[in-house]
This record gives sequence, structure tokens and C-alpha cells, in this order.
Amino acid sequence: MKMYLPPPGGRDSRRGFLKKGLFGGLLLAVGGGAWLALKGSAEVALPTGLKVLDARRYAVVLALVDRFIPERPGFPSAKALDTARAVDTILTLVDDSSRVELNQLLMLFENALGNFLFGLRTTPFTRMSALEQQQVLDEWMTSRLSLRRTGYLALRTIVMSAYYGNALTWPATKYPGPPPGIHDPAAPVWKGGGEPRPLGNGVMLEQEAAPAPVDGGTP
Amino acid sequence: MSGRIFTGDEVTADTTLECDVCVVGSGSGGAWVAHELVKAGKRVVMLEEGGYHTRREFDMTEARAFPNLYQELGNRTTDDLSVSMLQGRSVGGSTTVNWCSSFRTPERILKIWRDVHGVDTLSTEVLAPHWDAVEKRLHIAEWPESAMNANNRALWDGLGKLGYERGLIRRNVNNCLNLGYCGMGCPVDAKQSMLVTVLPDAVEKGLTLYANASARTIEWSGRKVSSVRAEILDPVKNRPTGVALTVKPKLLVCSGGAINTPGLLLRSGLDADGRVGRRTWIHPVVVMMAQFDREIAAFSGAPQAVYSHHFIERGPGKVGFFLEVPPVHPMLASTVSTGTGARLQEVIEDLPKLQVMIAITVDGLLPEEEGATVALKDGAYSRYTLSYKFIDAQVEAFRVATLEMAKLQFAAGAKRVMSLHMDPVVLDSEAELSKLEAAEYGPLKHKIVTAHQMGGCPMGKDAAKSVVDPHLQFHGMDNLFVVDGSVLPTSLGVNPQETIFGIARWAAGHIARAA
Repeated sequence: MKMYLPPPGGRDSRRGFLKKGLFGGLLLAVGGGAWLALKGSAEVALPTGLKVLDARRYAVVLALVDRFIPERPGFPSAKALDTARAVDTILTLVDDSSRVELNQLLMLFENALGNFLFGLRTTPFTRMSALEQQQVLDEWMTSRLSLRRTGYLALRTIVMSAYYGNALTWPATKYPGPPPGIHDPAAPVWKGGGEPRPLGNGVMLEQEAAPAPVDGGTP
Repeated sequence: MSGRIFTGDEVTADTTLECDVCVVGSGSGGAWVAHELVKAGKRVVMLEEGGYHTRREFDMTEARAFPNLYQELGNRTTDDLSVSMLQGRSVGGSTTVNWCSSFRTPERILKIWRDVHGVDTLSTEVLAPHWDAVEKRLHIAEWPESAMNANNRALWDGLGKLGYERGLIRRNVNNCLNLGYCGMGCPVDAKQSMLVTVLPDAVEKGLTLYANASARTIEWSGRKVSSVRAEILDPVKNRPTGVALTVKPKLLVCSGGAINTPGLLLRSGLDADGRVGRRTWIHPVVVMMAQFDREIAAFSGAPQAVYSHHFIERGPGKVGFFLEVPPVHPMLASTVSTGTGARLQEVIEDLPKLQVMIAITVDGLLPEEEGATVALKDGAYSRYTLSYKFIDAQVEAFRVATLEMAKLQFAAGAKRVMSLHMDPVVLDSEAELSKLEAAEYGPLKHKIVTAHQMGGCPMGKDAAKSVVDPHLQFHGMDNLFVVDGSVLPTSLGVNPQETIFGIARWAAGHIARAA
């Protein structure tokens, strides 16, 4: 039997956009910028119970959440909703490969070396002022490099999902939420096995259509 | 003889089953083919990677729906994130979460399949009796103009004012309460998805359905498939439990949909000399948002009631598009929109006054198009490498469609319209349309989304240019068929579910004879 065998080294290790980005960073480090890559992140208290994010990545997520979801009257604060923890929860549900890529992306974003490469800044993202962080985000958003626009979209999507997926944000958007009295959490779940199928909107009460007619040709 | 639906928690030991037909996938193709096969007396086992989620769980929240009912939590994308894809992943497939729009395959498309791709088996006449049966079973009927919500009404009014062609959409619903939460699973089973209609009908007739069963490889030799090896997934953690389910069928039907069916075939070394996964079509969509002074409440009411095919054929060398509207709930609105911080908050803080239109471009009709390519991704379980090669004619269509949607929104009374460019283009009147003219278009310049995945295993007469023959039999294999959206040689120019229903019901006739 012919089975799929990936070529040695794996194809995506050469093609993955994030790895290309990191590889570029590595070259610069070899060229004398290594000290930038070693600059530490802002220190933040790491909450207990995180399942995916480590201290450094959690600090980056916190900073991103602050920029993507700034304080605004009427909007619950992302800190109060613990949006960074919600990001961590989402990461527990995604494919292993997505988790690896997002972890890489967070470090690429934070890395002072990367920031130097992209914008001649020598500070890790988490140690920048709010204004500088916003400038960096705007640069990623509109960059000529598709790598940066892609990275920006990935981070934006996960933060927005984590925040606006929380029902406590609904009043801020004047979203009424689902109408009450519709969802039935005790609705029957039918699995067959000889049990009678409960009547419902999906049950056809009339006589069923005739069997499928046979087409003109036999394979 | 009654069949049974099993979920991952019920399969705790390695299991091997024998049957006449194994169907992989429970969506629009798999459900209909399995139903017709059990009706013909065949012993059918169905494998579905997603969970068995029912209205008991459909609480109408995005936070519950996306992780449970969509591929990759609703975040399936191309590798470069230039295209976001909504695709279902549960018993019933995308029919559990789609927006109910039902169209027969346009005659023009069937003619292209016949003339260009050698698909001489399908015509309106051949498919009509199947569509008749499908429409009767699924209560497919035109949604009345009087019931359309304000989001659709804006499109309807705009089309009327500009003198553009417009029509009312037919929907597969029964006793619909006009709620607007179709994308999160219908809480009252009004949507006539496969989950609540054809699949339970088939189970009553003997279908054995395994949910949380991820088909990993097809074992085959020469021209014959011998078995399918599946892994049981934990229904909560969505991770393999270590339990294997092996099915040994006389005949295998792959119905996992575009992307997942090519994925299974590629994992199994059935690549049709590199053609599996290529020529995947996605109806790339561009989106325009508008703010109105009045309430639109695009989250409430039947999501799609109006369409326009005014721009579906734009002349030689041009890419056509059709117009519809989407439902607008906060999480999807925030992730699909662009801009961040206060700019986004200003848009989203008055969600009830937000109106959204979509232009769905038709791909796969121009000879130079390659569409998307699906390939295996190292280290991934349910993700694939996905890339889409956009051509200039598509970029031109994005520009025209964006401008036309802005005109329609202003004609309907919008006070402001906003593109989904990475840095949104904002217009306060039609006099500012030149801003949209001047903007750049193309991947990663603005949001591109898709909810329709087609192709990747295209049917065709020439084995050197297609994956399955015009009867949907895999070229060179005696007992392997593909019955889902992946067999479409091009995209459709209409929402795809009814095309797949009809083709699946038609194919079941000759598959039953072959099994």
C-alpha cells in the first residue's frame, strides 16, 4: 500500500511563514544583534492555572489585550474579564500545530531583535510605552511584509474572540443576546437503538418521497 | 431495523466492524448518500470526526457554538491568514450551522461542467427529481418578503433603488421562529439540517453513526479499498483517546467535504498524481459594513432572505459575484472586522445599527485560475496547509464589488460605510467613493472570508485532469467514491448545499448497485 511519507525535515519547516521570520532573526543575531534577542520582557504576576502561556508570553498577551481592548466607558475592562486567561483557554482547544505557531508568534512580537529588525526599536514590546506599542501594532497591521500582516491578524483574532466571546461584553455593544425561553437545556437527545424518535420539527409526518431513481449509467 | 448513534465516550475498546458501505462524513453529501443506501437495504457505517451536538446544547451563544460546531473553532484559514473560512464540524456538517440558503445548481454551471470538464452525467433534467425530493423533505420554500429582517431589507431596498436584479431566497426551514441564530445551531430544530432530518431518518432505517471518530487513513491495495482506520476522540477535549475504530467495508464513500476529504486521501497516499487538494474553490467573499440611523438588528431574524445575481456574469475575462447579507453577532463581527482599539469600539458599540453586505465572488470559471491548494501539514491533526492563488481578475472583482456594496448601502440610507481593509476606508457619503477607488485590493489588503468550500477532488471524464469520474468514482479504484462538495469542478455562483444534496441523492442510486 502506498502511504504518505513526509520528506526528511518536513516540508513546512522550510515553508512556514513564522519559521521564515524566526530564521531571519537568527541570521541577524549571528551578525551581531544577539544581545537584543536576550532583552527581558516586562515582569508581570503570572496567575495560577494557566495551561499554555508561560510568564513571558502571558506578559505579551496582557499588553496586546490592553492595546486591542482599551479602557472605554461602557465596555467592561479586559482585565476584569480576565481576557488574557481566556486566550490561554482558547489555546488549550486548538490544534497542537496552531499552539506552536502562536507561541512562536508571541515571541517574535516581543523579541527586541525583531522589533529592531522591523522598526529600529531596541525594546521588547512589553517594555514599550502604550503609544509605542500602538505604533508597533499599526505598523504590523499595514506592513508591506505579509508576514507581519498575517501575524497581526492572528493576534487580533484570538484577542477579539476571547473578549467579545464573553457575554459580559454584550451590554457594551447593545447586543440583547439570545431571546429567553427558547433554548431547552433538557431537550431529549435521541440516539436510536430502538428507542422511539421524539416528534419535532425535523420529523417528516407525510409519506416519504420515492426511492432515488436510477441514473442513466452504471460505473 | 433501527440503527444507533454512538459518541466517543461510548467506544472504550478497539473495535472492528464490517459493512457494505462506510461513509466518512455526515454533512450534506454523506447524509443523503447514507440515507438512500440504508433505504436500499445496505449495511452502512458512518464516521464523523465532529461531535453529536443537538438543540439541548444550542444555547445561541457564539462562545459555545464556535468551539463545538466549526472546524478549528471557526478559525480555519489559509496559511497566510488572508482568507478566513467558516466550515462546520459536527454531526450534520455545515448544514448544522449554515444560514439555510437553498438554490438549485445554475444551468450555466452544469453546462460548463459538461462542456469543459466532461461531466456528461449531470443535467437539470437528471437532478430535478432529486431536488424535488430534497425540497419536499427539507421544506425548502421561499422566505416571504414580509418576514425579512432589516439587514436584508437594506439590501432589498438598495437593489430596488439602483434598479439591480434581486430575488428572495428559498430556505430549508420548518416552523422557523425567525430568530437569527442559525449559525449557532437551531435551538428549535426548525432548520432542516441533516442533523435533525435525513440522518435520524437513516438511523431509524439502520444506519450506524459514530461521532467523534476521526478517519485517519484508508488501507488499500491495487484497485481496492480494504478498510478505514479511525481514531476515537474525547468528546470534550477533542483529542484522541487511544481507541481505534476500524471499518472494513465493501465500498467506501468519502464525504468529509472540500479540505477534509482531500486531507484523508492525501494521508492515505491516494493523491491522484498530485491532483487531490488542488483546484479547491471557495467563493471568496468581500464585506462592507454600514452604520444606519435606524435599528437594523442584523443579529435578529432569518440571516439570509435576499440575493442579487445582477453581477454574476460580467463578461469575458471578468470574475462575477453575487450579493447577500450575513448575520451580525458580536464575536464574529469583532473578528471579521478590521481596526482595533477605540476605532473598533466605536463601530461595535452600536451593533443594532450596523448593516453588513457580502459580495461572493465566483471562482474556477476562468482558465487561468488555480484556486486553493490543500496539502498535509506536519505536526497537525486537523489542520492543513491551505493556500490560495488570487489572480488579477479576482482583485478587480473585489474592487468593483466593494464599490457596488457601498453604493447600495448609501442608497438604502446608510450614514456611513466602512470597508474591511486592514486600515478601514470610511465614507460619509457617496461623494467619497473615490476613497474606495483609490484603495488597494487583494489578499492581506482587506478581509476575505468564505463559507463555501468546493473542489479539491473534481469530477471529470479525463483521468489526467480530474480525481473522480462523472459518476463520482475515484479514478483507478473499484470501490471508492467521493460524494461531497469536493467533487465540484468549479464553484457555483449560488450557495452550495442544495447542489450537494441533489448530487448525493443521485449518486446513491448507482453506488447502491456497486456495493
